[in-house]
Amino acid sequence: MTTPAIKVEDLCFSYGDIEAVKNVSFEVQPGEILGFLGPNGAGKSTTIKVLTGQMPPDSGRAEILGMEIGHDNPDIQAQISVCFEEKNLYLNMTALENLDFFASLFGIKDADSMEILRRVGLAERAKDRVHSFSKGMRQRMMISRAFINKPSVLFLDEPTDGLDPVTSAAIRKTIKEEADRGAAVLLTTHDMFEADELSDRVAFINEGEIVALDTAENLKLKYGTRSVRVRLRDGEGVSEEHIALDEGGSSERLAHLAASPDLMTIHTEEATLEAIFIELTGRRLEG
Amino acid sequence: MSLTRILKMLRKDFALGPRSPIFLYMILLPFALTGLFQFAFGSLFTPQPRLGIVDAGNSAITAAVEGADGIDLTLLDDAAELRAQVEANDLDAGLVLPAGFDDAVRDGGRPPLQFYIGGESYASNRVILTVTALDAIRDLEGSAAPVDVEVVSFGEAGLPINLRLVPIIVFYALALAGIFLPGSSLVEEKEHGTLNALLVTPVKVSEVLVSKWIFGVVLATVMSGVTLALNGALGPRPLDVLTVLVTGAILVATLGLLIGVLAKDSTMLFALIKGTGILMFAPAIFYLFPDWPQWIAKLFPLYWVIEPIWQVSVMGGAVTEVWFEVLVALLISAALLPLIVVVARRMQAQMVSQ
Repeated sequence: MTTPAIKVEDLCFSYGDIEAVKNVSFEVQPGEILGFLGPNGAGKSTTIKVLTGQMPPDSGRAEILGMEIGHDNPDIQAQISVCFEEKNLYLNMTALENLDFFASLFGIKDADSMEILRRVGLAERAKDRVHSFSKGMRQRMMISRAFINKPSVLFLDEPTDGLDPVTSAAIRKTIKEEADRGAAVLLTTHDMFEADELSDRVAFINEGEIVALDTAENLKLKYGTRSVRVRLRDGEGVSEEHIALDEGGSSERLAHLAASPDLMTIHTEEATLEAIFIELTGRRLEG
Repeated sequence: MSLTRILKMLRKDFALGPRSPIFLYMILLPFALTGLFQFAFGSLFTPQPRLGIVDAGNSAITAAVEGADGIDLTLLDDAAELRAQVEANDLDAGLVLPAGFDDAVRDGGRPPLQFYIGGESYASNRVILTVTALDAIRDLEGSAAPVDVEVVSFGEAGLPINLRLVPIIVFYALALAGIFLPGSSLVEEKEHGTLNALLVTPVKVSEVLVSKWIFGVVLATVMSGVTLALNGALGPRPLDVLTVLVTGAILVATLGLLIGVLAKDSTMLFALIKGTGILMFAPAIFYLFPDWPQWIAKLFPLYWVIEPIWQVSVMGGAVTEVWFEVLVALLISAALLPLIVVVARRMQAQMVSQ
């Protein structure tokens, strides 16, 4: 049995009287992407801050690559990377200088910063100062910086928040590549499409607690309805029929409608992650 | 703690510094103040009178000029070369002392003496060099001055105002380079979130603070040294001057670090510097007003930095004469360290909770 890249047991953290993380437990295996899905203030970023050693937990324990987390643990920090929600780059440095500087802090002497910039589509701007970059380019810089030490564990805090679809897709592609390389990825997001597309498993977090944790498919099956919506031509208009797949005779009825010359479309009616989140928490993911 | 990582961060700060307008402003301000004060109160840039001598006979006049304060003496072998240098305004005046000149003067003869004067030299320098040369010849002859000169001084006795301004200019160089630059560099890392980015790498907060501190010490030492050099106040003992400058830089950089960890943002940084500015600036003012009770200056921490620099660089003393002041400066720096550690822990907790 392989050691989990991230192992969290009953983790708690409070800001004064406010409980930000309550008895959170989960594991992430090497090469797995775990999507942390929740609205703003749900405790996603706080969990990352605790797991990356920025804040000590109030109680509970967490291990990264089998090593217990704590302040100033260079063995852990050499093998992790964090992509912050805040674009905390050195704006007066060039893209290349930013990457080379961080590579040097990890003790990497032969960092191929240009290749990493090429992966995120910034090779042509390598020698430009970051202050001249657009929001999307800065976010791609953030991602490339997170890749500089070939991390075994990657923490990504809202990596595509507020970006255009093209940039978001490019970033998601690179995240997938990192997971394929073997990195465990903890991805926080409030974008259900992102979580659905990228994550091997999804954790719903609300008010500091994990309310559900499973693959997106299983969550949809568990909380959604197994039904299809069939649209048929009906004279001059269109008629719709909902068929619950768990009811008796549904297969025959579906086969009959599928053979009908009036058939226009058949849609599955699985629940979206957002709908499941609302069902579980009574809150929307945005805001 | 990794020295390698500290040096890498230090190199980054030195590389980024010149790209920041505020860094350049802080570096240039002491130079601008030097220029302003010298323009207003007389110039310390004004060169000393420059006298060249060609001495064919090991004259006592040469020895007398060598022993005189405030004259820049150049000894040459060739009268033609001397003349060329005076013509080129490399020297204000030139004196050609032939062999046997001293004996001839002592014997009451009137040997010829060539005295070149540069047409572009300052009139004050010509007068100083002429009078000095005539005095030396009179001494050689063994005769007394034909008149008794009664010297009547006007104005306040003591050092000239432009010399007493040196502590203020040095204070600015020290404070801006040693306090403001490391403090603002740390605050900028906090404001831009880059400190958080550093702290999730193997870098420790102590390494960041040490790198900022060294940044301040190096800048303050260099800036105050350059400022003293510009003001012609480097003193006769370079190593002693370096010792007091480094001591001063250590104290100001420690204060800068404390302000940097205390301030959450630039607004608070400026408020802290403005609020504490008069306390830091006060000892420099006492050098302008020697009639004030000087013991009051000792109540301010930077007195223990400025006084050794004043004594060693301006007054030409040795560092052994100011060992107590140097020791107090180092003790104040050491006493601030536990405070910095406590505030830095609070800073780290505040940063991640934002």
